[in-house]
Amino acid sequence: MTLILTDEEVALADSVRKFVADRSPLTSLRQLIASGEPFDAGVWKQMTAQLGLAGLTIPESYGGAGAGYSALSVALTELGAGLVASPLLGCLLAAEAVLRLGDDTAKQGLLPNIAAGELIVTLAVASSAGGQVTASGAGDGTVLTGTVSPVLNGAEADVLLVPADGADGKAIYLVQGGADGLARTRLTAVDHSRSLARITLAGTPARALAGDAAAALAAAADLANLALAAESAGAMKACLDMTSGYARIRVAFGQPIGAFQAVKHRLADMEKSFELGYAALRDAARAGDEKPGDFPVAASVARVLLASAYAEAAVDTVQLHGGIGFTWEHDAHLYYKNGLSNKVLLGGPGEQLDRLADALGI
Amino acid sequence: MSDDFRARARAWLAANAPRRAAGDDEAEAESRGQAAVIAEHKAFQAKLHAAGFAGITWPREYGGQGLTSAEQIIWSQESAGYDLPTGVFFIGLSMPGNTLVELGTDAQKRRYLPKMLSGEEIWCQLFSEPGAGSDVASLQTSAVRDGDEWVLNGEKVWTSGAQYSDFGAILARTDPTKPKHNGISMFIVDMHAPGVTVRPLKVATGHSPFNEVFFDNVRLPAGALIGEENKGWDAAVVMLRHERIAIGTMGSSRTSPLAFSTLRDLAAGLGKTADQGVRRELAELYARSRAVQLFALLLREETQAGRLPGARGSVAKLAGSDLGRFAGNVAADVLGDQLAAFDTDELAAVSTAIVAAPGSAIAGGTSEIQRNIIGERVLGLAKDPGVDRATPFNQLRVGTQREQ
Repeated sequence: MTLILTDEEVALADSVRKFVADRSPLTSLRQLIASGEPFDAGVWKQMTAQLGLAGLTIPESYGGAGAGYSALSVALTELGAGLVASPLLGCLLAAEAVLRLGDDTAKQGLLPNIAAGELIVTLAVASSAGGQVTASGAGDGTVLTGTVSPVLNGAEADVLLVPADGADGKAIYLVQGGADGLARTRLTAVDHSRSLARITLAGTPARALAGDAAAALAAAADLANLALAAESAGAMKACLDMTSGYARIRVAFGQPIGAFQAVKHRLADMEKSFELGYAALRDAARAGDEKPGDFPVAASVARVLLASAYAEAAVDTVQLHGGIGFTWEHDAHLYYKNGLSNKVLLGGPGEQLDRLADALGI
Repeated sequence: MSDDFRARARAWLAANAPRRAAGDDEAEAESRGQAAVIAEHKAFQAKLHAAGFAGITWPREYGGQGLTSAEQIIWSQESAGYDLPTGVFFIGLSMPGNTLVELGTDAQKRRYLPKMLSGEEIWCQLFSEPGAGSDVASLQTSAVRDGDEWVLNGEKVWTSGAQYSDFGAILARTDPTKPKHNGISMFIVDMHAPGVTVRPLKVATGHSPFNEVFFDNVRLPAGALIGEENKGWDAAVVMLRHERIAIGTMGSSRTSPLAFSTLRDLAAGLGKTADQGVRRELAELYARSRAVQLFALLLREETQAGRLPGARGSVAKLAGSDLGRFAGNVAADVLGDQLAAFDTDELAAVSTAIVAAPGSAIAGGTSEIQRNIIGERVLGLAKDPGVDRATPFNQLRVGTQREQ
């Protein structure tokens, strides 16, 4: 496999891009902001049932497409470019954890429904400072107590997979969305395209899933890095295209502003950071499919580079548009807020660099 | 075919190019003597050529292998783990050589390309002048016609390898009454000709990796012109494109004093890896270095797939320079106050590399010029207005102008 896209991947990117343009343009994100809905259920239905995005990496035997990380990253890049609001990321992380755990009941009960878009499942993880949950009791009497925040689509999830520390160490527990003692508070997300919630468990009934929780959580964290890197790459490219397009047509002092080196050089740096991050993203996707041993470091590299580069690019997008870029009606702030959020979700730059340093034997 | 080539390349490299730690070429030249280094490089280049691995994409009639960029990429991949002792030919082959392949006459190609490939003749590139750096089109070295020949006068600077080169590709002004880009021609100059003087140029590190070259009534024979008269700027653009691609895709040595693995080990040796700030900086250095390598690989894959990198070579050049600067900062943090004063060779090597780091953002086109190229040719932004573009050269002010 190569860093450049295969013909199939180019076709997948084209179809997702067309879907985003037709069904989820930025005007629809503004409608969600106005309505307060976390995502458009019709769009989510099409993303899952029609495009099969929730099941891309789920094996065919569980109703998915059995495609690889590379295909997934290509699709996420296009969704990221359009800031498509959906519970996809939470579902992907939950599915990854379930696959890695190998708990048969959970696999059969959850994966086909995630793939079909009939069940929203999320993995209740946040940064290392995101709270703690403990498990007590045993068998049918198992209960969880604690808090995790912010959790992707925690308020809308039909099922939550909650890591918790019990007498036998860490395990992942399945909690029904309507369980007793489960409080879900939707938070005000800086990024309008994400729905995030605080999850509080107070003696909430739960079922422990069999399998190696630490390995499953590590795999989910690696996938989260790949996914956030892919979304950030797409969004960053959108910022680059939007801003260089504006610099070609906006005239000041008798010239298009792109002729001024103060503008031109900032855009050149944005292009450079995008190209470097994109190459790292492609490498991570390739490693995920072909060299699993290299995947944690490669995904971490892509996330570290792209999350920071995108956040910078988004604020430069505001700056280089000038006053219009700071208005509510302009799309720049939608990317700026998405960039801020992508940078810190599930562990920010410091935490990612610490994790990378550990992996590199520093 | 390609698999065959790969197997052949792999076997030849394993048998003939033992892996060795890359030395600092300048330091190596100073300790072993330059003549010994050149003799070794010439002998190795000859061997490489005899084995069929020099000039992989160049036509067979000019000593090349007549193969495609696919084989070139295979060769790059297979040879990446080796430090081939061919450094003195790097500039000649990648810049004047590739330019001659594109623009040279049949006679020029037959005369010069085979000896370049076989390691018999070393070439340099003579563009920059004391008064013409980023604005190289404002160069003042002149070539005046005298019958079939030209007479060359002027001064070039930052010329790598001039002291041991046999030939150079030089830009000179052939018509000062035309606007600056339209009165330049490119020539082949014999570096051993009467009137050529080469002086080492000592740089900030204390080494002399470059030269100043003076031309005093040097006669250029008929047949020395590369491309057309007064179309030298077009030829320069071709050569600069090859230069950016060569620099952008050559990758960095893993054994450089500023490489991630070197600095990680140095930090461990100095007991600095417990410091969270240093750990994070080293991790970020790994990420940035990896991305620069991967982008070069991506460009090579695109080239192989028939999509030429074009001006995106400038992205690679800029990224490499930025990385060097970042690595220099990380190295400085690893050293702490041992950057200020030291008494070991290991620390001296790191210190020299830190001092040298800004040079890569100037050599081969400054980072500012790369940003112009990226902005204009990759992103399609408006060109710099270029207030001097239409003025005859002999009415322009060029170089450093002090108050009278």
